Amino acid sequence: MPENLAKFCPGCGYPIALTVMHRVLKERDVVNDAVLGLDIGCALLAWNFLPINTFQTHHGRVTPVMMGAKNARPESVAIGYTGDGGAYAIGWQYLCHAVRRDDPIMIVVINNTLYGMTGGQTAPTSLQGQVTSTDLTGVTEKEFFGPEFLRPLASPDAFIARTAVNNPAQMMDFYNKALDAQKAGHFSLIEILSFCPTNWGTVGAGTLTHLNDIAKVFKTGEIKK
Amino acid sequence: MYRILLAGDGGQGIQLIADIICHSAFHEGHEISQIPNYGLEQRGGVSLAFVQISSESIVYPKFSKPDILLIMSPQARVRAASYLGHDQTEILDIENFKDILEKNNISARSQNIFFLGMIAKKLAEKDLINLNLVKKLLTDKLSSKLGWEQNEKAWDVGVNI
Amino acid sequence: MRRSDDKQFITGAEVVVRAAKDAGAEIMYGYPITPATEVFTGWIRAKEKYLQTEDEIAAGFAVCGAIIAGQKAFTATAGPGHVLMQDALSMSEGMRLPFVAIVAQRGGPSSGTVIYSQQEVTLACLGGNGEGLRFVYSPSSLEELYILTRQAFNDAWQYRFPSILLTDGYLLKTRGVVDWKKIPVIKNIAAKSVVASGANAHLQNIYTLEEELYQKIGDFTNDFKNASAEIMASEEVETQDADILVVAHGIVGASAVKAVKNLRAQKIKAGLFRPITLQPFDNHNFDRLAQKARCILVVESSLGQLARIARFEMAPEIATPMKYLQSPAQGIEPEQIEQAVKDLI
Repeated sequence: MPENLAKFCPGCGYPIALTVMHRVLKERDVVNDAVLGLDIGCALLAWNFLPINTFQTHHGRVTPVMMGAKNARPESVAIGYTGDGGAYAIGWQYLCHAVRRDDPIMIVVINNTLYGMTGGQTAPTSLQGQVTSTDLTGVTEKEFFGPEFLRPLASPDAFIARTAVNNPAQMMDFYNKALDAQKAGHFSLIEILSFCPTNWGTVGAGTLTHLNDIAKVFKTGEIKK
Repeated sequence: MYRILLAGDGGQGIQLIADIICHSAFHEGHEISQIPNYGLEQRGGVSLAFVQISSESIVYPKFSKPDILLIMSPQARVRAASYLGHDQTEILDIENFKDILEKNNISARSQNIFFLGMIAKKLAEKDLINLNLVKKLLTDKLSSKLGWEQNEKAWDVGVNI
Repeated sequence: MRRSDDKQFITGAEVVVRAAKDAGAEIMYGYPITPATEVFTGWIRAKEKYLQTEDEIAAGFAVCGAIIAGQKAFTATAGPGHVLMQDALSMSEGMRLPFVAIVAQRGGPSSGTVIYSQQEVTLACLGGNGEGLRFVYSPSSLEELYILTRQAFNDAWQYRFPSILLTDGYLLKTRGVVDWKKIPVIKNIAAKSVVASGANAHLQNIYTLEEELYQKIGDFTNDFKNASAEIMASEEVETQDADILVVAHGIVGASAVKAVKNLRAQKIKAGLFRPITLQPFDNHNFDRLAQKARCILVVESSLGQLARIARFEMAPEIATPMKYLQSPAQGIEPEQIEQAVKDLI
């Protein structure tokens, strides 16, 4: 397996979320069955990161792509990685309908509260008052609670939850539960609060503090019916 | 027409020194063209800056035969390979300055300022920019930021090479 | 940065922002996408009215709504965002809305590169599910970027067709010296609302019978033809006795200007026809030059999107052979064009 130099920024949460997921896939012995779709944004940088089938898609479109892939190969383990913009802005309607249909796919939403790759614009999950390059005086809209908004649309057997990259035990538990749900034929979504020191302008422990601040607004845990 | 191609890793401050060189030359009344070139990654990719200084207006922002080529990292060296092999190009490769940088204790974060000093000196010798103005722009930009002493030292060493 | 004599060292994106403001644009709807993002963030930094929408489609339709209500609105996008924007552009074509879009070409198809190309020409000219009744402008310099952005707004509002300022990632990111004194003063065409209070207006974009749409298309096409006569523009460089006629647009056009001048200095009879409007295409002047040349060389950063236009627009009786220098998603420097011309001789 050739090594690829990861292009994530130093301190990024993506490598953590991805390697924990890979570990879970290995433990469940489904690495070869996994197909990983990537939405536009920093998720793109994972295209050659894990030794599993991976493909890039278009912005906001990873959900219907994984639905199509899973429909074609029900024995596969269909996973879509997206950012908070791809999930809750441009791709929101697809999530709603995938949830309503209970598409047996797993969507992982990496939430850094910003559009990262384009340089820090406001995202649906930006915190009220957060200053971004498209809200110079602070975001005025209320934060977007994707998992919570999807829950009422979802089957009781769908798994919907939020965790954080600094909580690997919970991440592993949720990946397992999400994959259990897919195995039983149901939709799953895990939002993962993630580090983004480049766009947060944080260094070292400041990045962790920032994440914990975000976690005060976006509560981790399973979102139950 | 004077052409400078600066190449380094994203985060090494290539665009910063391009900005300072260009603004200095603009102040002297020259025609300038400046364009960055980088890929997707916010950090860690190769960062290039194409700079042209001329007395006539510049029609095309990129070029393949630089007069000065700065290479600040292994990745940049690979990327800049297609710009090598022209007799007129003066290559400033960080490899060749490892000793000087070490001897003068120039930190990794200030390496770009060292090269800014070197390049500014060459441009000043060609009457394209005013060294004092470059120093002023540099000071305005960085003196209130962390590591100013390091940067100022790097400038001095670079200018006096 | 500005010197006292009205010269400014600024980027293409900043030029566009200034042009839109000078054009009287009141609001920008946008969505981040490289390399157009800086037009949006620049507009915002200039404290202008804006909204970041949930995607390009929402941005495009918000622009449509603003226009219907009489407000000069615009958007900026690129690549995959341009693909999405064609939905709103298509409605604008069908409803005669003065939609102004700044499109920064990047590598395609799909996400391609975030950097540069000339691969969105066909999309800009013909991207909707109609006959391509939209104006497309291709600037080759920062000055032209300003002037054509102003023109895009004026032509859109005067003739009521969508207007696309088709630029690219290189020109928007280039920082160069703009001499504002050299730029002509341009008067603005006023905006007006179709649904002003009491107007009782009723706007369709769907018709019951084939005949109705056929009639409508006929009317719109007439209007477009009349507008075209006023709008079509091109530049000719060293064409007086050109054997080889180079055809190039946008920043490649700028590169070609240099190439042609260098070739002439070497006594090679090369000339350049540079379309400034890609649509309508200045076929009158093109035909005249194509007829006289021994050979035409179409140069572009795509696999023939400009060539397709040139071929289509060239009068069928003109037999001058057409050759191509095509470098999709890559810049083309003057030396490359010079060599290509020399290879033809």
